[in-house]
Amino acid sequence: MRVKTPQGEIVDLMTINLGPSHPATHGTLRLFAALDGETIAAAVGEMGYLHRGFEKMVEQGTYQQVLPFTDRLNYCSAMMNNIAFCKAVERMFGVELPERAVTLRVILLELSRMIDHLVCNGANLVDLGALTNFWYFFNPRERVYQIWERLCGARLTNTVTRIGGMYRDTYPGFEQDVLAVVKVIEDAVTEVLGLIERNRIFIDRTRDIGTVGAAEAISAGWTGPCLRAAGVDRDLRKDEPYYGYETYEFETVLGTTGDTFDRIMVRMYEIRESAKIVRQAVARLKPGPVNTADARLSLPSRNQVYHDMEALINSFKLIYEGVRPPAGECYDAIEAANGELGFLIVSDGGTNPYRIKVRAPCFTQWSHYPGMLTGSMVADVASSLGSINIIAGELDR
Amino acid sequence: MITDVINWICANPYLVASLLLVPAVPLIFFNILPLLVVMERRGAAFIQDRPGPNRAGIWIPGLNVRIRAFGMIYNACDFVKLAVKERFNPAFAAASGYYVAGPFIPLAAALILPAFIPVFAPIAYSTADGVGWLHGTTIATHSGLLALFAFSSLSIYGIVLGSWSANSKYSLLGGMRASAMMVSYEVSIGLAAAGMFLIVGSFDLAKIVAWQGDHTWGIFAQPLGFVLFTVAMFAECNRTPFDVVEGDSEIVAGFHTEYGAIRFMLVMAAEYYHVIIASALISTLYLGGYHLSPIPLPVGQDFAVVNLDDRWMREHLGAVLALMLGIGAIGAAVFAGLINGRRVHYLKSGATDAQERAREYILYTAAIGGAALLMAVGAVLLAGWSPAPKAVVAGVPVWGGLVDVLTAVAQFHILLGKIILVAWLFVWVRWTVPRFRYDQIMALGWKVLLNGALINLLITAIIVKLVR
Repeated sequence: MRVKTPQGEIVDLMTINLGPSHPATHGTLRLFAALDGETIAAAVGEMGYLHRGFEKMVEQGTYQQVLPFTDRLNYCSAMMNNIAFCKAVERMFGVELPERAVTLRVILLELSRMIDHLVCNGANLVDLGALTNFWYFFNPRERVYQIWERLCGARLTNTVTRIGGMYRDTYPGFEQDVLAVVKVIEDAVTEVLGLIERNRIFIDRTRDIGTVGAAEAISAGWTGPCLRAAGVDRDLRKDEPYYGYETYEFETVLGTTGDTFDRIMVRMYEIRESAKIVRQAVARLKPGPVNTADARLSLPSRNQVYHDMEALINSFKLIYEGVRPPAGECYDAIEAANGELGFLIVSDGGTNPYRIKVRAPCFTQWSHYPGMLTGSMVADVASSLGSINIIAGELDR
Repeated sequence: MITDVINWICANPYLVASLLLVPAVPLIFFNILPLLVVMERRGAAFIQDRPGPNRAGIWIPGLNVRIRAFGMIYNACDFVKLAVKERFNPAFAAASGYYVAGPFIPLAAALILPAFIPVFAPIAYSTADGVGWLHGTTIATHSGLLALFAFSSLSIYGIVLGSWSANSKYSLLGGMRASAMMVSYEVSIGLAAAGMFLIVGSFDLAKIVAWQGDHTWGIFAQPLGFVLFTVAMFAECNRTPFDVVEGDSEIVAGFHTEYGAIRFMLVMAAEYYHVIIASALISTLYLGGYHLSPIPLPVGQDFAVVNLDDRWMREHLGAVLALMLGIGAIGAAVFAGLINGRRVHYLKSGATDAQERAREYILYTAAIGGAALLMAVGAVLLAGWSPAPKAVVAGVPVWGGLVDVLTAVAQFHILLGKIILVAWLFVWVRWTVPRFRYDQIMALGWKVLLNGALINLLITAIIVKLVR
């Protein structure tokens, strides 16, 4: 491909398709790049290969029926999507969850954040050729998935929450399992940090690669670990606390330059901070109900249904029609593993959502990704892409 | 006619032996390849906390067990699968002939390389007119290592040809990287090894090894050279951290992206064969080759033409063989014990196939335990044996058939042991460190390795000049 540069120079470039089926693109992403030797002169990103029409599909069912769809957004931490959506709907109703449900959700959120970071960093290190770290991360992750299995029967697509609480209470021994797994994950992080943190090859491969500075990241709309890696202190858990996050002791992990190294390390150290939160939350976990008593959201007990006319009608209406949030718009977001995961819900007062818009953290990161690459090399495509953690399920919806 | 041939063979056993070496040495080296593949797979699994390949097995009806042989059956499966698969020619391959020829060249170039590596010390035998020598090097030439490098760099032609003719952009990128790397690192390899040339005063690998038997191993004479040579050899073999030529997460599979079936197998075989050759070269140049001891041990009577380590080994042949067999026996016994432990564990675990597994493990335990027993008996029997030269012809000790054969076998096994250990280093490094970027490899090659090799050469030259 012969092109003329802005300086008026004529150069021959080789165009190359990286994706949609390529080892470096975890999922179905396409990057169309023009190469000058091995240097990327320009790149264009394309998304949509995993588009399922999520936002249209969810308009067809009731609010409860949206939940299984949310599992398929960021499938590396499906529970976070469940919780984010339920939290948005609960906010429309203005209900307060019981103490136990809130604490349980905090534990699940932080465990999900940990496994999401494990997957992201593990896969990113595979992109860098450090294959062994992948197993050091995936073995502990498997332990978390065993907890998920015992908790709700599903491994990947959990659908663990309900609007107004949880699917069900935990199993006996849940606390011990969680504490054990947190220890295992912390050990894995220490082990992998020992392999890479002072490894010259790793530092050479990631330092000053795919750098996105603070101003650039903010203007691109980045959130989460990628934004914090650039040194911007923005964490919804601290800035707009929910579920009592202000009462937990943890640090916001900040990077300095916003390069690939910082993004990987921010995730590594966030796993440790999440471990702190999980330990505090497990200590706070007291027996109690896990669903709100609000009759607009929760099913009455079977006993009430059999003996009480109003309870029978309530049960009937909730099952056959679903919950009815008051008419209006509501945007609510949580700090998901990848950044700010927000749901904008428009209700017309009916049982089906009028419109649901997902604010996916991947979307802004992917939009800025091709711009990051200009001037870097082919090998950096993989390492940069891994470090901004694009999950096609969430990106394409 | 036939009796004439038989008579000639009986009259010239050493000539016949040297003829037999020609096919035997490359074949034996080639047979390390499946072992290396198993070592790579199980080694990777060991490093990565996972079981590794342990399913494929061969059902033996009479014994009612399925032999899995620690993952070695996978080699057979892979071979059959890749050999019978369709040999697919992509329609876009630019020149089909070159595309087909591509994978053959690296393997063909690699197959000849063991011929330059001395696998045992030269054996003296008496002839009608004095003394004859049976060389441990199949191609005993004065250009030795130079000839080896010449043949080994031919393999790049196959890679470049294959990557270009496949007419795929990923292949092309891989081929470009391969050629750039080969050019950069061949220089460092040659200059790093030049230190040994200067010290020994010869390119002949046999002489280099003999020098190490007389003085000390190359690693002690050339520590910097050893490090530089090993690093450059990693690059030469396209192994992690220098595996950008394949670069699976960046350019799919690099130069062999478009190769499948048996052509892919040839590419992989050449790659692993190069690892074996690299291990053999590192062992030969820096780890004393077939020599047993890092420093020469005291010998009875010194003959100028025979290297000291070889002479010592022959004098203490019984003890040396007993030591090697003893190490083998202890290793095998420990291994058999471990397998038996797995059997007990399996029986306790309540697995549905516990009985079948137990039968299989009993078989392994019996075979390996039996081997350990045999080796232990052999060690005890041989321990006291110290042979003496049969005759001294023209100032050269001649030892006779049995001692010659046993010494050669022992020395070859010492070399094989070193090759396996160095090959394990290749596996270990591969599963530990990340991959360099292409331009970083170039920077390392030209700015660090080349300069290091030059400094090493300069220092060596000054010291050699002062000593001589």
